[in-house]
Amino acid sequence: MSTRLTTVEPRTHQWHHMSRFEGVIAMATQPVGPQLRKTGIGVVGDVPWGTHFFMFYETKEDLLDTLVPYFKAGLEAGELCLWAVSDPLTVEDARDALRKAVPEFDRHLAHRSIEIVRGRQFYLSGNHPDLGRVMRTWAEKTDSALARGYAGLRVSGSTAWLERKYWNAFSDYEDEVNKFISSWRMTVLCTYPMAGSTAAEILDVTRTHQFAIARRNGGWEVVETSELKRAKSEIKRLNDELERRVVDRTRQLADVNEEMKREIIERQRAEEALQEAQADLARVRRALDMGELVATIAHEVNQPLTAIVTNGNFCLRRLESATRNLNEVKAAITEIVSDGSRASAVISRIRGLLTKGTLNRTELDINQMIQYATVLLRNELTANRVSLRTELACDLPRVPGDQVQLQQVLINLIINAIEATSRSTHGMREILIRSAKNPDGLLVQVQDSGPGIEAELANRIFEPFFTTKAKGIGMGLSISHSIIESHGGHLRTVPSSTGALFEFTLPADDAGVS
Amino acid sequence: MSATESIVFVVDDDPSVRRAIKRLVESVGLQVAHFGSAQEFLRSERAAATSCLVLDVRLPGIGGLDFQRELAAANIRVPVIFITAHGDIPMTVRAMKAGAVEFLTKPFRDQDLLDAIHIALERDHTRRQREAEIATLRERFESLSAREREVVAMVVSGRLNKQIAAEIGTTENTVKVHRSRAMEKMQAESLADLVKMVERLETLPEKAS
Repeated sequence: MSTRLTTVEPRTHQWHHMSRFEGVIAMATQPVGPQLRKTGIGVVGDVPWGTHFFMFYETKEDLLDTLVPYFKAGLEAGELCLWAVSDPLTVEDARDALRKAVPEFDRHLAHRSIEIVRGRQFYLSGNHPDLGRVMRTWAEKTDSALARGYAGLRVSGSTAWLERKYWNAFSDYEDEVNKFISSWRMTVLCTYPMAGSTAAEILDVTRTHQFAIARRNGGWEVVETSELKRAKSEIKRLNDELERRVVDRTRQLADVNEEMKREIIERQRAEEALQEAQADLARVRRALDMGELVATIAHEVNQPLTAIVTNGNFCLRRLESATRNLNEVKAAITEIVSDGSRASAVISRIRGLLTKGTLNRTELDINQMIQYATVLLRNELTANRVSLRTELACDLPRVPGDQVQLQQVLINLIINAIEATSRSTHGMREILIRSAKNPDGLLVQVQDSGPGIEAELANRIFEPFFTTKAKGIGMGLSISHSIIESHGGHLRTVPSSTGALFEFTLPADDAGVS
Repeated sequence: MSATESIVFVVDDDPSVRRAIKRLVESVGLQVAHFGSAQEFLRSERAAATSCLVLDVRLPGIGGLDFQRELAAANIRVPVIFITAHGDIPMTVRAMKAGAVEFLTKPFRDQDLLDAIHIALERDHTRRQREAEIATLRERFESLSAREREVVAMVVSGRLNKQIAAEIGTTENTVKVHRSRAMEKMQAESLADLVKMVERLETLPEKAS
């Protein structure tokens, strides 16, 4: 520390450059904590380390009223105190006043927790002010205070000793103190005698300190200097700026948030549209498949039927007419019989095509297929206000099967259920799909809350072309039945207390498949 | 029209259906010729008799509706009766617009088919008769000399002999001779008759099979 002090230039009376204080500042700079110091001066309250303020006083009482509580608070807060007194106060005055105010004052004195010195002595070296030394003293005191376990340094300096010719130099010193004190663990209260101070001097003092205490209307008041006001307004401006930016940023974030929300909604819509499109596609495909199937059946079956009907008509005409030619009639009847067999063969072939021709077996997860079917039909379900419930067993074996065909069966059963529930005029529109394990594979049930199946129709519903629907062609259940049979399972209706209950089984291995 | 001169063509890819229709149609005294495809029909040598075509919509190769269009394009004006296993409305509309006599769904009532065949034959007979008449008229018209044709054209446009004579630079008497020769050759009994004949020659198509 001392070696660094030697680097400071020899003092001169004219010093205007802060370089003079650089070493001091580097040394005295300490981490300044955020905690506030009690000033003991009611009107000032608490201040942070690095506070440099001043008061103009008129009387000795003014000084004592302020400085005694100032140092009392410092001693109580464990700060090292340095009181440089000047006229009209003497060191004795100060000591007596403190002794009265501070209970264990002598102990503090004995510990050198407080030093009371004559201002003149403190600031002057010979007859000239040695303000570089003063600065170094502050730095040393602060360091030693901290080294000795004090919280920091509390100072009051007096300027009553100051001769006018030193004013400018002192003002510069105060300026430097004001600049650098903010990083020091130190508070400074400077006292200026009001009497004899010129307006220019008052302005200088005000400029070089953070704020002033002044007596007004019999009480003390805090007067902010323009510098502080500026700083405060700058802080306020920065704060406002910060706040504005926070608001801006918040708004931007809110906008982005909104945008994201919109995107999410958009995406949800797109997904819904996609699902609708899928459902539509499934429906259209089903209709097309059905339409094509119907056309094929119509054509293939109608050809022999046309021949049968025409030949039959011919026979009738011949039998009714006078010119009977039994050989001709016999030939026609022979063709009728053969065309009848042909029609029946067509039907068998179509059923064979449907069930065996396109089998493409893979291992299937029936629960996944049920869920997929419900997704495909979601639109249909909501449009008919039907709620669908699933009770799916989780320990199901995978079954070998043709995914497209079994999906067709599921969709068919669910659509039938939707249409059945829509026909019921009362109560809940509900469909329940269950999957369960059964001894040789699994079981799927589709139950609806519709009117159910009339007993006398129960054994006809799987016949081709049997339908109870206004626009049905009566192939759905028949085809579904064939598909399940071709998978080695069974599709049947089960008597149920509510609505219709269809169930099918599928074996877990291929044993049952013919 | 005479039934024995008429022939019913049947085009259906199903031999059973063809045979049954042939049997039925023949039972009412009409001749039947049947084919398994449109191409077969086109390749056949067909007598220029009154005829109609019973045509299946669904045929191997070219379908019945397209075949109908091809027939029209080839100026083969045989009346068509469609039979189909699965007729829909657009198909029916298309066929009828293209001049089909009837559109029957298989299996049809025998009487419906026979009625349609009779209507079709009647229509074809009428057309053939009309075309034969025109052919005769054309023959007669072609026997006229150039001058006679010129005179006929002016006569039917309502000009007087005198005017015609002035226009072609001859005497009224010469015009009268041309005119009576033309009337004779055309076998027209009156001026009105001649006008009608010329109108028919002008408005009807040149030639048909």
